[in-house]
Amino acid sequence: MLSTFYGTDRLDSPAAWAAAFVLGVLFGVALERAGFGSSRRLAAVFYLDDLAVIKVMFTALVTALLGLVILTGSGLLPPDQLFYLPTVYGAHLLGGLILGAGFAMGGWCPGTAAVGLASGKLDALLFLAGGIAGCILYNELFPWLQPLAVWGEAGVDFLYPHLGLSQGAAAFYVSLLAVLAFWGCEILEHRRGVGGRLLSGRFLPTFSLALLAAAAVAYLVAPVDMAPVSAAGPSREAELLARIEAGADHLEPEDLADRLLAREPGLVVADVRSEAEYQAFHIRGALHAPLPQVHEILAPYKNKGRIVLYSGGMTHAAQARDSLARQGFRNVYLLSEGLAGFRERVLKPVSLRDEPLDPEKAARINAWRAFFLAAPAAVGPEPAEMPQPLPGLIETEWLAQHLGKPWLKIIDLRSQPEYNTGHIPGAVYLNYDSLRGVVGGVSSMLLPAELLAGHFSLLGITPRDLVVLVPGERMHDATLVGMAAERLGHRRYAIVQGGMAKWLKEKRPLTTALPAAAPPSYYPVNPGADDFTVEAHTVLEASRTGRPLILDVRPVEYFRGEKSEEARAGHIPGAKNRPFSEDVAAGPEGIFFKPAAELAAAYARLLLDKEAPVIVHCRTGHQASQTFFVLKRLLGYRNVKYYDAGWSEWASRPELPVAAAGK
Amino acid sequence: MNPYAAGVFLGLVLTASYAVLGAGLGASGGLARLAAALSHLAAPARTQASAYFGAWAPHYLSYYLVFMLLGILVGGFLSAAAAGRLQPGLERGPGCPAAKRAFLALTGGVLVGFASRLAQGCTSGQALSGGALLLTGSLIFMAALFAAGFAVARFFRGQWYA
Repeated sequence: MLSTFYGTDRLDSPAAWAAAFVLGVLFGVALERAGFGSSRRLAAVFYLDDLAVIKVMFTALVTALLGLVILTGSGLLPPDQLFYLPTVYGAHLLGGLILGAGFAMGGWCPGTAAVGLASGKLDALLFLAGGIAGCILYNELFPWLQPLAVWGEAGVDFLYPHLGLSQGAAAFYVSLLAVLAFWGCEILEHRRGVGGRLLSGRFLPTFSLALLAAAAVAYLVAPVDMAPVSAAGPSREAELLARIEAGADHLEPEDLADRLLAREPGLVVADVRSEAEYQAFHIRGALHAPLPQVHEILAPYKNKGRIVLYSGGMTHAAQARDSLARQGFRNVYLLSEGLAGFRERVLKPVSLRDEPLDPEKAARINAWRAFFLAAPAAVGPEPAEMPQPLPGLIETEWLAQHLGKPWLKIIDLRSQPEYNTGHIPGAVYLNYDSLRGVVGGVSSMLLPAELLAGHFSLLGITPRDLVVLVPGERMHDATLVGMAAERLGHRRYAIVQGGMAKWLKEKRPLTTALPAAAPPSYYPVNPGADDFTVEAHTVLEASRTGRPLILDVRPVEYFRGEKSEEARAGHIPGAKNRPFSEDVAAGPEGIFFKPAAELAAAYARLLLDKEAPVIVHCRTGHQASQTFFVLKRLLGYRNVKYYDAGWSEWASRPELPVAAAGK
Repeated sequence: MNPYAAGVFLGLVLTASYAVLGAGLGASGGLARLAAALSHLAAPARTQASAYFGAWAPHYLSYYLVFMLLGILVGGFLSAAAAGRLQPGLERGPGCPAAKRAFLALTGGVLVGFASRLAQGCTSGQALSGGALLLTGSLIFMAALFAAGFAVARFFRGQWYA
């Protein structure tokens, strides 16, 4: 049994280079002896004046074909020791047409030009220089050509199964065709008076018979099986099929999660989806190996350790797996059910699962989630490009300078009609109320993290993105969306000082064109992110003990109980009032947070230091979101809690105490 | 040499290439590596970052087809020298200006170099080597090559025939 440099993965060794050099010398001699050191003789084939190119090429093709069928069919050369060029219908058709035109034009092809150059031909030198330029041109244009280069990819593909022939039969028929073509060439040359001497004499009949006899031998030696797989390399295909059958080529999502968590050495996970999909979300640590480059990218891991491929579902990954298997990869596995299955079976939180879970399984799921959904630290735009600090405020100037950045997600909080009359390029419209709903019988509650993550996913927001909130007339619309970000642990958000009014006043770019729909991302749920939302019992405790401070941010008349939209009027006993409207300045120039120094002085009278605990609330959590942002994000108070349910819940529960009027 | 005998010889060399290297013969692969190395000399950072050549950085020439191309040059030279066919010059038909022939050779080269990258091989690496394995893409390539060659040859007739 022969083993080749390719089959033993040593094609890049000096020994292989030496062998290639020797074969090249023989190749050069063969071409030169055939008379192919002359462009005029080569080009003559296209004018039917000298058919040597066809004769030599087809004789060589048939000789090698029969030789290879006999070598592999007899078991001397295992088919998996050979490299098979994958078929790319479009690229091969178009490449053949261009190359044929260039051949007729230049009178050379690369191999013959090398022989021509060695024979001293100046036109061969020019042709090769042109060839080098053509290669460089291809490289320069490659980013645009890439779709063409993979157009009609069909993997390793043999012609004969398409014709319903076995390999041996196909080899025989091709030999027969070649013999007929040789006779045709001689007759044609004879008629045109440019050759055909071989028509007389015994050579051509003898050669024809010898070729057909060799073809008959090949037919007898070739495997009988006509299935394409057997010809593609029986051992590899059979091995692949056996593994698929046994399910040994699959890895279950839970299994993969555990292996990654345990940092199994030699484990490589590769995502074969598009760049955008990969950027939006991928399994932690996965390489990006899109189909066209999957061989190159995974070559370093060939038959070392374990390669696990995944795509959205199964199809693309299976395609990549088959293609890799044909290239001799024997360590490729598929992720069962793909990324969809991984999300469902590994990442889905315990709370959303239907099946009963024992504590052990629940702990396992939480461990997976903690590992795979940990906010990626080192991704996204350069810190220098991000405004600081975050969450925080940005100016319209900054936004104008960074428009169009792919990591910028602008949310316009005005009404739909206002948005439609003209908005910041790339901005999407969002009704802040779509982030709220009835939770636990209380209306207008910020939605649970899972649902907020769903909204962020639909908006195409990823944890790396900077979410820019552009208020209309009310700053607390922006801060309410900010609360949603806080609940998800998304710290990359900023509010535009002055809001849309300032942008309009400054006559900055506007458009009525809807932004291109961002591909939905997969915004992960970070279960521990919301450590600030408190419920009524915590507030009641604070009301009794006086700590934390309860800060009621509603307008003063509501605090005093002079106005009310609820069953009961007044406020929580012990609460202090600091109306949210005091923190902003609104005017024709836009809506602004007051200067930080002014705000700091105002709150210093209520809160002793930055560690002082405080609970903010209003009626529905809308206005309080603004005070929360001021305290926590603008002034740096570290112990700010958010009583989202607020007065609408408190007033409706008669068992909770109310302090009325005056106080 | 009898073209059929030359063909058998070439076919045996190709069979040997498959049996020893596991891959067929090729000429354009080595040329492309040379192009990448030259591109690197001119613009190292750009070449390393490029999507196609970049995959071969930094050892563009450490590739078996580069050594094969070197072999072709040596073999071609030895054979031509032995047969007394070392004829320096620009090969062209009677009445064809040298500049015209030079231009066509250069331009044809650009097309062939470009196409060989698109099709992952040329007459030897794709048509002959892949054709001998009856690979669909190689046979399509070969058919397209001859079809286009015959179709456009009339436009370049003047460089060979008066």
